[in-house]
Amino acid sequence: MTMDMSRYLGLFISEASEHLEALSRDLVQLEREGSSSAVDSMFRHAHSVKGMASSMGFEPIAILAHRVEDLVDAVRQDRSRLDRDLVDLLLSSADALLAQVRAVADNKEPAEATALLQQLSARVTTITGHAPATTRVARVTVLKPAATTDAAAEPPANPEPAAAAKAPEASAPAPDETTRPPGAKSAPADPRPGSSAGGLTSGAGAEAGAAAREPRPAESLAHDVAARPAPGLELSGGLQAAAGGALASKPEGEARAPLQRWAVQLRIAPTCQVPGVRAFLVHKRLTTLGTLLDLRPALEELKAGRIPDGYIQVELETSVGDTGIHSALRNVAEVEVVSVKAAVAAPAPAPPAAAAPDSARASAEAGGSRTVRVRTELLDYFLDTVGELMLATARLREVGKVLPENARPELEEGVYRLHTLVKDLHDKVMSARMTPLSLITDRLPRAARDLARRKEREVDLVITGAEIELDRAILDELADPLLHLLRNCIDHGLEAPEERLAAKKGSRGRVLVAVRRARDRVIVEIEDDGRGMDPAKLKAAAVTRGLLAPEAAARLTDREAFLLSCLPGVSTAKDVTDISGRGVGMDAVKRVVESVGGTLEIDSERGRGTRFTLRLPLTVAVVHLLLVEVGDEVFGLPIAKVVGATEADGETLSRSRETALLPHGNGLLPVHALDALLGVPAPVRRGLRPFVVMDGDSGKVALAVDRLLGQEEVVLKPLSRPLDLLPGLSGVTILGSGRPVFILDVPRLLSA
Amino acid sequence: MRHVIFRVEKERYGLPLSAVREVVVPPARFTLVPRAPPAITGVMNLRGRVVTVVELRQLLNLPEGPTPPARVVLLDRGRRDLGLLVTDVDGIEAVERISTAPGRVTPAVRGVARLGGLGVTVLEPEGLDAAVVALFTPSK
Repeated sequence: MTMDMSRYLGLFISEASEHLEALSRDLVQLEREGSSSAVDSMFRHAHSVKGMASSMGFEPIAILAHRVEDLVDAVRQDRSRLDRDLVDLLLSSADALLAQVRAVADNKEPAEATALLQQLSARVTTITGHAPATTRVARVTVLKPAATTDAAAEPPANPEPAAAAKAPEASAPAPDETTRPPGAKSAPADPRPGSSAGGLTSGAGAEAGAAAREPRPAESLAHDVAARPAPGLELSGGLQAAAGGALASKPEGEARAPLQRWAVQLRIAPTCQVPGVRAFLVHKRLTTLGTLLDLRPALEELKAGRIPDGYIQVELETSVGDTGIHSALRNVAEVEVVSVKAAVAAPAPAPPAAAAPDSARASAEAGGSRTVRVRTELLDYFLDTVGELMLATARLREVGKVLPENARPELEEGVYRLHTLVKDLHDKVMSARMTPLSLITDRLPRAARDLARRKEREVDLVITGAEIELDRAILDELADPLLHLLRNCIDHGLEAPEERLAAKKGSRGRVLVAVRRARDRVIVEIEDDGRGMDPAKLKAAAVTRGLLAPEAAARLTDREAFLLSCLPGVSTAKDVTDISGRGVGMDAVKRVVESVGGTLEIDSERGRGTRFTLRLPLTVAVVHLLLVEVGDEVFGLPIAKVVGATEADGETLSRSRETALLPHGNGLLPVHALDALLGVPAPVRRGLRPFVVMDGDSGKVALAVDRLLGQEEVVLKPLSRPLDLLPGLSGVTILGSGRPVFILDVPRLLSA
Repeated sequence: MRHVIFRVEKERYGLPLSAVREVVVPPARFTLVPRAPPAITGVMNLRGRVVTVVELRQLLNLPEGPTPPARVVLLDRGRRDLGLLVTDVDGIEAVERISTAPGRVTPAVRGVARLGGLGVTVLEPEGLDAAVVALFTPSK
């Protein structure tokens, strides 16, 4: 039986075309400039196309891409092998590949490029001295005008997540309906784990490819599931593993206090200047507690500040009790909680599903009917547009400043309201973009199974914390790296069963994928209990490849040495397989993780295993800055650390042991001249000058600057070598004018 | 092997072509890097990347000269975005037979070679990298 892969076809065509176009670009660049990054990038593109094509069953494409990869690899080993003829040959191969992909797009079988293949093989043989290896291609069906009976007859017990998610379209009950983790309902944007693996996620084709190389009849898989009782550790039951993980990591919170209705009466102080904002804040707090059943006045009225006598009535269904309600509202300024009373559940139209005993399932079903799928481009568009709205609002505020004094208040009120609405919209857009990691981790079990089968390893894959959410943009980027790390663990990390038994380990290897939140970061750990990595071998490999001087290698710590595996071309794997081991993947993994603002760490102990730790930001890194001018230079201070700004005459300030003191509130703050602190030349200032008051490690400090330029929201870039060696800088950004600006880390600046 | 040949004042230097990403004209102004060693000219925005630019003259401890630097040679060092500020770039030439350079031994200098009857100092990209990092390391 073969597997129907046609739903990945669109993805394959777009991705393969992209890779091939990039390959040609790189070739041209390489010939022109001879840069080594182009060779690595070419290799990655060829490798990706080979992988995708072989998993989609396009043999002619896979074989041709494989030859190209071999040849690029030979060039990578020795750049001098690249001559004009070779570039011509590679370019025409890339063109031929593109033509094959286009043929596939037209639902035709890709043509065999026999002549080209012979030329490529001949070149590989003359360069490397041996004939190229054969290419493995999955037996899958893609090009079919219509679904045949075997797709329809496939029982829904097939644990492949994407297939399972599709199953509701079939008549039989889908497995994901019964094994849904309770955490899934906290994901309104996409309540079915893995359900969008079919097309929204980039790289789904490549993954599914790895998964599909050794297709097995679904019946025998189902048999496996039944035969092995261990829940949560069961590898072949992909969804079960994910569900078990989610269950295990979910606190018993689901079974906490029953929902209860409360009538809450609040009053906003009559002296309050911004009743609309307070009311909105109250509303926001309460909605986090449970379901708002009734709100008077209505939300629109509240936001507009139209609140008769300041009284607000709320009916709330929540499990936190009256103490919970009180504590949620405790620190909202100018709001008084008049009363919190238990409300009698109105005999109102209770949804029929609420009577069902399986409440988790019922609410999940109800949730399902209230959500829609949204294309990711649309989400991106929303975010961009909201960003533009924020800028436009800021612009309006600026324009208002030139109006005569008496005309301003109304405009300012309007702008203020607009600002709150836009800000709120921004929050909502951001939360709509948050997607549980299960979207990508659900694909891992199946991939692990296929990898393990081919390597004749036995693997238990455990996934925990997959319900944790990340920005969609980061998640999309992460799919391939995660799969690659899994491959690494299974391919290189885990030993063969005999070897494990000899090392007094269980014959079954174990790979743990653990996701957790730590403050504003999400930490993903992928850990195996295999043979571990050898820092000395990695160092030697890097030295042999000419990437590192022997003295530099000697100085590296073990941890730094493990990261050498992320350099292109460094791999200590003895056998080069078509899964991994060519040292291509790890550098891509590191690049992707860093490009989304995260970091990668590798820990390993010989004989005990290896752990990859990915620390990721929750969302794309956006920071609010106060821009200040010192001399001719502009610097950014993180708004989060800024307490205020004031003007004073530096000459008249009192001093203590040479340090000027700025009166602030009831105290005196030490003054630091930012120009001297940064070593920036600036003319001596007389008279009034601005001071920025900031939170330091040991209390507030005042920084003397030349000019305040205003606030700006920017995307933070990490500092690359050697700038990261300087204390006191936390990042860099490029302003709208194109000017790079450093962001200061004031506490470190003061202590260093 | 093909090398990019450039000058600091009248002295000629070479870097393997494979180590050079591109050559650009320096921007009207650099953004100053606070607390950086004096050899660091500043950072520049190269199509959205922030590139650190080092004055080669200072990196190699050469005396000051009258000609303003007119080119930035961008090194291809993986993620490290590093540029060398030089007087001018002459072109790409094949450099063979590199012999030991006179003077103090430094990892940034690989040796000297003859090119068109004149000498050219061949630089070592790895060593240049290390020299820049060393500037930032407090012990030096």
